[in-house]
Amino acid sequence: MTLEAPVSTPSTPFDGVKLAIMQKRFDGVTRKMANTLLRTARSGVINTARDFSCALVTAGCELLTAADSYPIHVIGGADLMARAMLDIHPEVKRGDAFLHNSPYHGNSHAADHTILVPVFDDDDVHRFTVVAKAHQADCGNSLPTTYMGNARDVYEEGALIFPAVKVQSDYVDNRDIINMCLMRIRVPEQWRGDYLAMVGAARIGEREIMRMGRELGWDALTEHARQWFDVTERQMVEVISTIRSGKARGTCTHDPLPGTPAEGIRANADVTIDAAAGRIVVDLTDNIDCLPVGVNLSHACARTAALVGVLNSLPRPVTPNAGSLRRIEVRLRENCVVGIPRHPHSTSVATTNLGDRVSNAVQLAMATIDPSVGMAEGGAALPPSAGVISGRDPRNGHAFVNEVILAAGGGPGTPVQDGWLSLFCMGNAGMPFYDSIEIDEMLHPMMIETRKILTDSEGAGAFRGAPGIMTAFRPIDCDFELGFCSDGTVNPSLGTRGGGNARPAAQYLESDAGEVVPLSTSEHVHVRVDQRVVSLSNGGGGYGAPETRDPARVALDVAEGWVSPARAREVYRVALTADLAVDGAATAALRAGCEAP
Amino acid sequence: MRMSIDVGGTFTDLMVDVPGHAATMFKSPTTYPDPIGGILGAIELAAAARGVAVPDLLAETEILFHSTTRAINAVVTGKAARTALLVTEGHPDILLIREGGRTDPFNYRTPYPAPYVPRSLTFEVPERVWADGRVHRPLDEEATLAILENLKARQVEAVAVSLIWSIVNPAHELRLAELLEQHLPGVPYTLSHKLNPTVREYRRTSSCAIDASLKPIMSDYLRTLKQRLEERGLRGQIFAVTSQGGLVDVADLAERPILALNSGPAMAPVAGRHFAGIEGASTAIVTDAGGTTYDVSLVKDGALPWTRETWLGPIYQGNLTGFPSVDVKSVGAGGGSIARVDSAGLLQVGPESAGSTPGPVCYGRGGTRPTVTDAAVVLGYIDPAFFLGGQMSLALEAAREAIRRDVAAPLGLSVENAALAILDLTTEGMVNAIEDITVKQGIDPQDTVMIGGGGAAGINAVLIARRLRCDTIVFPDVGAALSAAGAMMSELTTEYSSIGFMKTTAFDRDRANALLAELVGRAQAFFDKAGPAARDRRIDLSIEARYPSQVWEIEVPLRGARFDTEDDVAALIADFHARHTDLFSFRDDGDAVEIMSWRALARCRLSDPTSIRLGDEAQAAGAVSHRPMFFRETGLVEAPAYRLEHLPENTELHGPAIVDSNFTTIVINPGARAVRRPGGHLVVHSAA
Repeated sequence: MTLEAPVSTPSTPFDGVKLAIMQKRFDGVTRKMANTLLRTARSGVINTARDFSCALVTAGCELLTAADSYPIHVIGGADLMARAMLDIHPEVKRGDAFLHNSPYHGNSHAADHTILVPVFDDDDVHRFTVVAKAHQADCGNSLPTTYMGNARDVYEEGALIFPAVKVQSDYVDNRDIINMCLMRIRVPEQWRGDYLAMVGAARIGEREIMRMGRELGWDALTEHARQWFDVTERQMVEVISTIRSGKARGTCTHDPLPGTPAEGIRANADVTIDAAAGRIVVDLTDNIDCLPVGVNLSHACARTAALVGVLNSLPRPVTPNAGSLRRIEVRLRENCVVGIPRHPHSTSVATTNLGDRVSNAVQLAMATIDPSVGMAEGGAALPPSAGVISGRDPRNGHAFVNEVILAAGGGPGTPVQDGWLSLFCMGNAGMPFYDSIEIDEMLHPMMIETRKILTDSEGAGAFRGAPGIMTAFRPIDCDFELGFCSDGTVNPSLGTRGGGNARPAAQYLESDAGEVVPLSTSEHVHVRVDQRVVSLSNGGGGYGAPETRDPARVALDVAEGWVSPARAREVYRVALTADLAVDGAATAALRAGCEAP
Repeated sequence: MRMSIDVGGTFTDLMVDVPGHAATMFKSPTTYPDPIGGILGAIELAAAARGVAVPDLLAETEILFHSTTRAINAVVTGKAARTALLVTEGHPDILLIREGGRTDPFNYRTPYPAPYVPRSLTFEVPERVWADGRVHRPLDEEATLAILENLKARQVEAVAVSLIWSIVNPAHELRLAELLEQHLPGVPYTLSHKLNPTVREYRRTSSCAIDASLKPIMSDYLRTLKQRLEERGLRGQIFAVTSQGGLVDVADLAERPILALNSGPAMAPVAGRHFAGIEGASTAIVTDAGGTTYDVSLVKDGALPWTRETWLGPIYQGNLTGFPSVDVKSVGAGGGSIARVDSAGLLQVGPESAGSTPGPVCYGRGGTRPTVTDAAVVLGYIDPAFFLGGQMSLALEAAREAIRRDVAAPLGLSVENAALAILDLTTEGMVNAIEDITVKQGIDPQDTVMIGGGGAAGINAVLIARRLRCDTIVFPDVGAALSAAGAMMSELTTEYSSIGFMKTTAFDRDRANALLAELVGRAQAFFDKAGPAARDRRIDLSIEARYPSQVWEIEVPLRGARFDTEDDVAALIADFHARHTDLFSFRDDGDAVEIMSWRALARCRLSDPTSIRLGDEAQAAGAVSHRPMFFRETGLVEAPAYRLEHLPENTELHGPAIVDSNFTTIVINPGARAVRRPGGHLVVHSAA
């Protein structure tokens, strides 16, 4: 398609009322799907942390809506998956359903099982495809975790891979495939329950669209999608037209892992904004080849991470769909660590770590081009406080394995606002739920001794990043295992436009006798009954020079214990009185001394 | 005689009900900062209408029901007491981190919400109890005393105490209470395990903090209310409406003011259920359409909708009350919602509202941006000359001009079609809200009746019903004061609960019976306090349970108060599976059931559940006027406008038509039919 000039206003005015109403109904379809998935799923990662997404794409494989979904799940992948389904199965029929988790065919990573259902009109013409995706508690990996950060390839990773495999015909399961899964996925009944929930959600979506088609006319639905894409494309053009044009590179670096370059994995994003043409290009091709680790990005995650970086950076939110996304081009390269992976490279951890680094690099580049857009870098995902613990519960003798979601990265500063504290990571956009201390202690033989924000850990800025969170937890009456694959320990999140970096993440084991064992970015360790795990998560980077921050905001941060009085003075150049009010004259004097940064 | 007072943000509604007579309804402006002035204003109107003096009217009043938005307003406007929070050491950020979650993924321009109690007033108490109740670290009293000295110095007005696992072992919270009584006498406090004994520290702590912060203002207010009404002659009891849709004695409310947080809206489904029942329906969508919000709730099988998750403010950004309440969903859509066309050429209606000041353009009070009410005036639905029974006339031309300028011109529509578009889009937002609460529970709106409450309900109720394929809409004659009417129909209730983990594979009948006997004992004590007038006494026993490894419990009613045989246990297990299937569409027969808590809801009535209805005005029947109206189906048409109180009973009228009363306007769209029932309410068939 050509993208040279902005779209001109069409000669025939569209019906804004009808469009708005019908789009609400389409959004409502994904909400109904999501509700089914949440309420009927069996695993905690779906029914508690709600790690799932639902989307609708057109017969032409264009994303129509992904309301209330994790961005990394579907924004740049739902269309690729629908396309793979049609490429592999040119003859789709009513009643078909496809199980798809192949990162080599448009999926995010192997743990995200997806059900695709093509929707047909009464003349058996394929009109839409519904997508229900959920992160599984287990996907058959070689170790009991869904994040195999150190896997050298998909074989060591061990996940079962389903490239759009037909799992239902005429609305009936292919038992062979179900049986295979039951033999190769841990806690098989839990998987089966989650599978039923996903199929149920997809079928609800199918039913709702068929109701709409019969009520409103199938051609009207198709025409709606076409018009809606045009409208949102115009919205995107208009928003881009308010940004400065320019070109910049943002670079963020993932911590080194065994098998990566010693300096870590750099993610370069070359961003070009053409305001007049209403177009943004993100080029990720100048990056290293795929690595023998599990953090390579999948095609979907590389594309989505770049899109998320742009969408986060815009001066006002634009709904992502095939129309608005026409205006953002993402250039990827085959066999690139942040591009299109070549089989059998592993992409086990594609949705969080390096994906976040790509989004962050785009945000930094955008901020370099225009000071009123972009964002700093967000804190890293999956520290030990979001690790997988496993062992045997002495209270009942049962084996347990679970990812705890106690804390993770803090949000980055933006041109107009401080970072969001419970971000978790950029790709999940702060949408996961954080565990209750009491629920975790009830379900597992553990005690969470501490969970509180870390004073002075934020990336300072005119708009500062959110601080990191300190979590300390220990086994009770037993030992347990802990696995995690994090980031941000060597490379903390970066500030931008004069904003400071966040304090690096840190993690260690500490015994009651005071012995400390430092932990690296990605580990699988045994935790003794007399030890505690201490996890200091990474906050977000700051935006803008800290000495330009509104002194009243600094005073509030100090009063609330987010920032110490010493840091307020030294970094933010704000002097406070004894009762923590801003000392205007002293502050002016402090700031006069550091002009021209 | 009974009175019901609902103190709203704009108006104070008063209903007076004399057994054997028609009820009467009055509205008086709510007064600030002292709402008691508005209450007395409404009572004076009622006394004047009956031709008696205020003391005589109050002396006749046996029971006075009272609901207010005062508590929620204090929370929303940050006017609650200066409250300190005492928590377990290591966990000062329970109210800050909340439970995570975020909406609107690409909008990072929303500020992270402040905790309900600031960190600077949050104090970490050295102590720790673990999940099994064992004391992992004893309470450090010396450190505690230092904290209490600090509280004194900081002049806190209330204290919330919420420690990890206090619900399993409350010893440390109880000891802190003793120390607070000693060292901060007179400062009200709340203990989390007593207020809300539920697992999940954020919810319990949040409810504890909100409750403590309301104690000073609500205790004062309730005491003053009682005193001033008694000075003016009241001898009867005052009962306060709760967010749970029940009633409590005002003295009890002063102890647990969080119960009254959302008391007004909670009464709409109570009234809605009653009017649905008159029409023989047990499942009803209850709508309450006001100036700025549209409140919807679902009465299913005659039961009030219930939620354990009530957010004050936006979801994930506000504060979770941590308390169950009647589940009423509010969307920002109402008569005052503002219509505009955005830069992309899309029509938007709300959530921005013109409120009551300046109000819609047609009010002529300085509003310049067109609203839903203006659309209804332009379409001829609302009679500009007879708004609110003629108390106010409306500026039709100004409304037309605003719609022309802001909506019709940018969209290239006629003014009338622009007004219809505004109603259509508003309708869609309301339909979405209703689908959210119906489809979510597996209810097809087609199988329900809709209750149209609130002054703005009648404008587009038929359009909403048609979109939902719902045939029957009931407009109660007291619809404009649905909450005040609901309070009169409500029951006196209090809920008691105990935490008691028990797996059905190791069910301990003796322990279960002991837990239930204790709950029943507490319920009996409550009845004794309610006095001899309390009739129809009932205790609803239930458990909260789940399958192993699930984390959200569901409530299952118990069939009796004792487990005498294994058959009783088997029946409970069967009931759990059935309930789970009902809610979630699947069951896991092979698995055990884990009981987490035991509950008793004590309820009784204070008077006969008679129908509350207004009287017919003694005017000549059959006064029908005609005025021009605009409908999509007919274009401009001269259609009849009837007065509700003059309509003959059981005589059907056909749309297009309007039915007016002093409090509302009901649009009968072309194709719809309406009939006034002997109960005084109007039933409209949408012909969906």
